[in-house]
Amino acid sequence: MSVEFRKELFADERDDNLNEIGKGTQRQDALGHVTGRSPYFDDHLFDGLLQIRCVRSPHHHARIRSVDFSQAANMPGVVKVIRPDDVPNNFNTLLSLLNFGRDDEALLSSKKVSYVGEPVLAIIASSDRQARDAVAAVKVDWEVLPHVLDVEEALKPDAPVVNEVYPNNSFDYHEKYDHQKLRYGDVETAFAQADKIIEGRYQMSPIEQAPVETNGAIAAPETNDRFVCYTSTQALFFSLGTAGKLLNVSSNRLHFIGGTVGGGFGGKVDSLVEPMAILGCMLTGKPCRFVWDREEEMQVGAPRGAERWYLKDGVMNDGRIIARQFTGYFDAGAYTRLSSYAIIKCTGHLPGPYHIPNVKSDVYCVFTNRTPATAMRGFGVTGVDFAIECQMDKIAHEVGMNPVEFRILNAYRDGDMKAHRREAKNCALIECAQVAAEKANWPIREEFKQASSMVGGGGERAAIPHTVTDEDGKIGDRRAGRSGGGRTRTIAPSSPAPAPAAYTPPPPPVPPPAAPSPAAQQPSYAHPAAAPAYQPSAAPASQPATPEAPPPAAPAPTPVPAAPSPESSPPSARPVNRPGYSRFASNSGFRRR
Amino acid sequence: MSISVKTFASTAEAATALSGDRAARFMGGGTLIMRAVNEGDQSFNTILLANDPALTEIQAQGDRLIIGSRVTMAQILASRDLEFLHPVARAVGGPAIRNMATVGGNLFAEHPYGDLTAALLVLDCQVTLAGGQTSTLPDLLRDRTREPRVLVASVSIVRPQSGIFKFRKVSRVKPKGVSLMTIAAWIPQSGGRVSGARVAYSSMGPTPMRVQAVEQALEGATLDETGVGNALSAATSGIEPPTDAIASSWYRREVAPVHLKRTLLGG
Repeated sequence: MSVEFRKELFADERDDNLNEIGKGTQRQDALGHVTGRSPYFDDHLFDGLLQIRCVRSPHHHARIRSVDFSQAANMPGVVKVIRPDDVPNNFNTLLSLLNFGRDDEALLSSKKVSYVGEPVLAIIASSDRQARDAVAAVKVDWEVLPHVLDVEEALKPDAPVVNEVYPNNSFDYHEKYDHQKLRYGDVETAFAQADKIIEGRYQMSPIEQAPVETNGAIAAPETNDRFVCYTSTQALFFSLGTAGKLLNVSSNRLHFIGGTVGGGFGGKVDSLVEPMAILGCMLTGKPCRFVWDREEEMQVGAPRGAERWYLKDGVMNDGRIIARQFTGYFDAGAYTRLSSYAIIKCTGHLPGPYHIPNVKSDVYCVFTNRTPATAMRGFGVTGVDFAIECQMDKIAHEVGMNPVEFRILNAYRDGDMKAHRREAKNCALIECAQVAAEKANWPIREEFKQASSMVGGGGERAAIPHTVTDEDGKIGDRRAGRSGGGRTRTIAPSSPAPAPAAYTPPPPPVPPPAAPSPAAQQPSYAHPAAAPAYQPSAAPASQPATPEAPPPAAPAPTPVPAAPSPESSPPSARPVNRPGYSRFASNSGFRRR
Repeated sequence: MSISVKTFASTAEAATALSGDRAARFMGGGTLIMRAVNEGDQSFNTILLANDPALTEIQAQGDRLIIGSRVTMAQILASRDLEFLHPVARAVGGPAIRNMATVGGNLFAEHPYGDLTAALLVLDCQVTLAGGQTSTLPDLLRDRTREPRVLVASVSIVRPQSGIFKFRKVSRVKPKGVSLMTIAAWIPQSGGRVSGARVAYSSMGPTPMRVQAVEQALEGATLDETGVGNALSAATSGIEPPTDAIASSWYRREVAPVHLKRTLLGG
């Protein structure tokens, strides 16, 4: 298939001397792959290599009364049993390397397990089979506990506590709230003025990355009291830092060697195999190999987490969305891993690539007795995008608009203010929608064919509106049955804009949907697919004539000042340089990337 | 415990070892046994091998052919006598698998494998065990997981006349995908009408199987669109197709008549 370039778009925004795209470039690893010479971690088979296998929980949630490995320890080939106490610093959270979140997960659990497959003991033996046989001989006395597998069930006050570090079954954001907030404008006032309120519920399932090569590492003693570790990791220094922390050794004693990753897709960043292989090596003085089998990869390998979304939109009859409210639940599984970060990333993406002047979002990182979730391509964004785009189709149907025209009408233009208070730049949704419609023979009216991301943005659309904030959802309120902070206040806009009481829907982008010509009053497209037929709505008579596009608003000042602390400031609005409820990055300094 | 490997010069000795040890498995080519070893299967700890040359021989006896149980798919493909089985052998795996996979292994391969076995079912297959006893193939398949385990020495099949034997493997990935369903048919005609048809499926149940309802519906039918109508209606009569990673039971049931029609009428 030939590649078609639209270089005329954004020609002034990038150096367009493309010298790779569209040309036949051989992958740099292709020769190694097709000749079978690409080196993987598992190609480093030392003499006398020992094998590690884990004793894992068969239960979603259970207390460990006792573990009896006396028989296993004496079985043929067994070299060493690794107990939780053998892990020098047996408590970690992945993002502690970035100072984000609290340690909440053991490499080997000693008191309780919170998901099926959680490891409680490891066996080192001369062969994989001997290690498996010894694992089968370990007797664990489990006290099975009630479990919770649904995100909303987990947030109920009487739900079992999944993760003792977060006893409310939700990650603590900014040491204050049980969810990540986004407040922009005033959704309630806008809902009251909207012609239609359209709601939707969307559910995404977990997805396993399913690499061909399962997670694994081989560690061996090196000179100068160092350890070499060959690993399948996608994130070499992340794995090195994690291993250094769990094993309580300086990173300069760890010599990590990556190389070809046999498929990762986000499933090889959790760094669970490297510390175990090195620990085995420390305890035995011998090279050790710890590799998940396929069943482990599927069962305990962390997937893209499930998400549940509730969307509520306030829409005008002409198709403009004037308010959007999100409530999202990320299923983190039993431990945090990277889900807390996924939500930060997600919140920065809301409300999707659309100019919506009033946005409110509450997103919860929920702990359930499921396999912990982690990274997978675009995690944090892809799930909510699915919800948003389903919702966009639903709204288009309900207001009787062509779904492509509906997206073009609401799309970000350059210079628009985004809900997290960054100016939209290099927007391209309109152009993508136009090309997609053209390629799919999906008719759109001329004025939508003429729309441009570079026209119609900024101006009033660049203003940060009056923002209503609240203190609902403080840590522990929900579980204690308290109804939240209740205190609300508003923050003045950055530039003159209608006060909330006099709220009026924002002006549409240029061009507004023109009054349809007689011909256009027929359904303007008739797609062979079962797309809902619609009557194009006439533009409101009161719509202003198309003004000259104002220049994009000046970029917002950065860095963003920290939100005023409610404890130290009165609830009345006080002058702030930068309106907004809270700075986007967490108070730990962890930045979106 | 580690895996131990025992090699026997005679098939009979291997059969004795097999019947006396529940934790032993006889290895034909190793495509399934070695995979299980690599995946840590703890249900066995002993692998039995037999070097008896008779196990790897293909012999013609009148209108029948005797195929040793350790004959590989690659050997079938290299045999002129077994030319009618070439499309079947070629449907099994890729070249590397066909160099290892054996006739005997195919008889014991669990779902979704067993494409060759479906073909053998319609070729009037007689099974000779290591001790010299004989068995029908349906009996062997019925009992194949029972203890004590038996060792197959060879199979005997009839050489079909041209055009009688039909075979089709349906898979998602071509040419090496596992079977969604495999159909083998033996369709002799007399006076323009089908007489004595045999039809077998693989991947449509726990083991490859003859499909009696289809066979009966074909009896006396003409081999055309109208004539096979009843047989197509009976395509999954009395069958509970499995649901697996390749297809659901519902899907297999829905597409079975389509593929059966293509097998019988071509196209």
